[in-house]
Amino acid sequence: MRTPIAYFLVVSGMLFAIGTVGVLVRRNALLIFMSIELQLNAVNLTLIAFSRMHNSLNGQVLAFFSMVVAAAEVVVGLAIIVSVYRRTASVNVDEARGLSG
Amino acid sequence: MSAAGLSAPPDSFALVWLVPALPLAGAAINLFVGKRLGRWAGWLASALLAGSFVISLAILSHLLGLTADSRLFVQHLFDWVTVGSFRAAADLRIDPLSVTMILVVTGVGTLIHVYAIGYMDGDPRYGRFFAYLNLFAFFMLVLVLAENYLLLYVGWEGVGLCSYLLIGFWFERKSAADAAKKAFITTRVGDTAMMVGLALIVVHVGTLDFSSVLGSDAGLTKGAATAISLLLFAGAIGKSAQVPLHVWLPDAMEGPTPVSALIHAATMVTAGVYLVVRSHALFELSGTALTVVLVIGLVTAIYAATAALAQDDIKRVLAYSTVSQLGYMFVAAGMRAYAAAMFMLVAHAFYKALLFLGAGSVIHGMHDEQDMKEMGGLRRRMPLTATVMIVGALSLAGVIPLAGYFAKDTILEIASTSGRTLVYVLGTAGALLSAAYIGRLIFLTFFGEERSEHARAAHESPAIMTTPLLVLAAGAAVGGVLATGVEGKLPTFLEPVVGVFAEGGAGLAKGALVAIALVVTATGLLVTWFLYGSGRVDWLAVRVRVAPLHRFLQRAWYVDDAYAAVVGTPAKAAAAFTAYVVDARVVDGAVNGVGILVRRLANAGRRVQTGFVRNYALAFLLGAVAILLYVGVRF
Repeated sequence: MRTPIAYFLVVSGMLFAIGTVGVLVRRNALLIFMSIELQLNAVNLTLIAFSRMHNSLNGQVLAFFSMVVAAAEVVVGLAIIVSVYRRTASVNVDEARGLSG
Repeated sequence: MSAAGLSAPPDSFALVWLVPALPLAGAAINLFVGKRLGRWAGWLASALLAGSFVISLAILSHLLGLTADSRLFVQHLFDWVTVGSFRAAADLRIDPLSVTMILVVTGVGTLIHVYAIGYMDGDPRYGRFFAYLNLFAFFMLVLVLAENYLLLYVGWEGVGLCSYLLIGFWFERKSAADAAKKAFITTRVGDTAMMVGLALIVVHVGTLDFSSVLGSDAGLTKGAATAISLLLFAGAIGKSAQVPLHVWLPDAMEGPTPVSALIHAATMVTAGVYLVVRSHALFELSGTALTVVLVIGLVTAIYAATAALAQDDIKRVLAYSTVSQLGYMFVAAGMRAYAAAMFMLVAHAFYKALLFLGAGSVIHGMHDEQDMKEMGGLRRRMPLTATVMIVGALSLAGVIPLAGYFAKDTILEIASTSGRTLVYVLGTAGALLSAAYIGRLIFLTFFGEERSEHARAAHESPAIMTTPLLVLAAGAAVGGVLATGVEGKLPTFLEPVVGVFAEGGAGLAKGALVAIALVVTATGLLVTWFLYGSGRVDWLAVRVRVAPLHRFLQRAWYVDDAYAAVVGTPAKAAAAFTAYVVDARVVDGAVNGVGILVRRLANAGRRVQTGFVRNYALAFLLGAVAILLYVGVRF
């Protein structure tokens, strides 16, 4: 017997909620980044769960896409964080206000 | 063209378009390359207008070769306005009336152009002056050659524009710039009424062509004809400086003297007379309108003559004189003596242009002094100018057998023989005043002792200026051959257009009329000789003794002051209200208010933009939750 879909969705929802709260309350850019990854993976989990439920590969393929894009995003995002750190010696996002009007 | 008698024009008539086109070309050339032409600008302008004069003469001779009934041709140039059923074409009309006018405009105009070559010599805007002068001639010729009221109106406004440009030609002087504005705005009052009149014609007749509007089948009611002719006459009042819109003409003397001679004596100001004579069918249909013309003309003739008596500026005397003489023309037109009005117009063009140009020569010789109190004795220094001006003055005063006598005497004779005794008496009184003011001008300027250094150092003007004076003097002297009484050459020539003056039989005998006219003229001249020429009266002392009267006349019955108080002050107050209250507070307030409102809204709105990514992310979240809730509730 298969694990019911609801279990996956609950785990996924919790992961996404944790990620969201992390994005909202954290000030460290690296931790915000990790929280975003958590959100992405929560979504990936959902995709794969539905994919299994419908016996279709589409969801899994989309999850792979999501991972690839996330990897590319990590490269860019980390590069930006490193660059900001070099300029300000800080990864606190509240202090990165140089472009604010 | 539907009216009978309009056939294809013969060859010399086909050249009529050149009559206005030549001065237009001159204006264009002088406007664009006038600076490079230098002194040739004046010669070019004069030569082109002279060319128009020659063509006009050819047209005249052609016209005289035809029978009186067939002297009417319309040359179609091009379709101009075609809107629905309304059509106005650029058509030129050749008939005795328009040919008379183009001969005056081009003939006298050419002489004044030539004179101006000398008078304007050394002016920094020499080329531009002749461009304006030629442009004026163009518009004036369009005005008198037009075959419909719309084209006439183009010329009418065009000459107004040129008048403005030329009065304000020396615009560095504030008085000149002000006078130009005054002339433009005052005539605009009449022009607006005239435009309404043209609209009424369109409403009632459906076309503006003379042949339809003035024909017997125009189908106008008496009331409509009265309204239209009074509105047209309002335009004439403005253009011809009649009471109550006369105030601009004396001020217009700020312009260069050739301008005063050409525009403000010989041609433009007579456009009103031309308009009334041209439209006489409408005025006669109305009847009331003719009476109005007569009354306005008579009032103006006498009023302006009294004002001319007390002016010290030599040109202002002539300006008021012009107003007065134009009044006489309207008196003639008001009595249906259109030929007499036209003859007065022609004669006046000669002797008044002569007097103005003579005055210009005096001013030139006096180094730009215009005050007659500073003159005196100039006949010794400027014999030629003095001679021709005396001829012009005698002509104006009405001495037999000069042109002015026949002009004025014919009008007064008609007034008497047609039973209008009051008009005759008042007209004769005006003639007395005319003789007096022109005698005063001559005696103050040319006789007695020199009253200033300038007068002692005065010199005669160059030949380029005196030659036109001689030609004009000849015209002012012998112009009477054109019309002796009601049955001269000019009245016969004009008969197909204006008809014959038929009233008569009443009033004084011819001999008595001549005798009265002579006595009146002689009285006027002798009194002024005694006062100003004999040296036996200290006229400056007399002036002090009658100071209130003198001041009343010099300020022209305080009409200008009254206008300033009644029209000027409220208008300025209204302008100040509009500028400082309506514009500064209401309009600017609304504009600034919108700005302030937007800025406050923006200030409130920009608080949302904290710059903290977290806040935006929270907004994302809330938005996403809201959408999900909505979707959840909905489905």
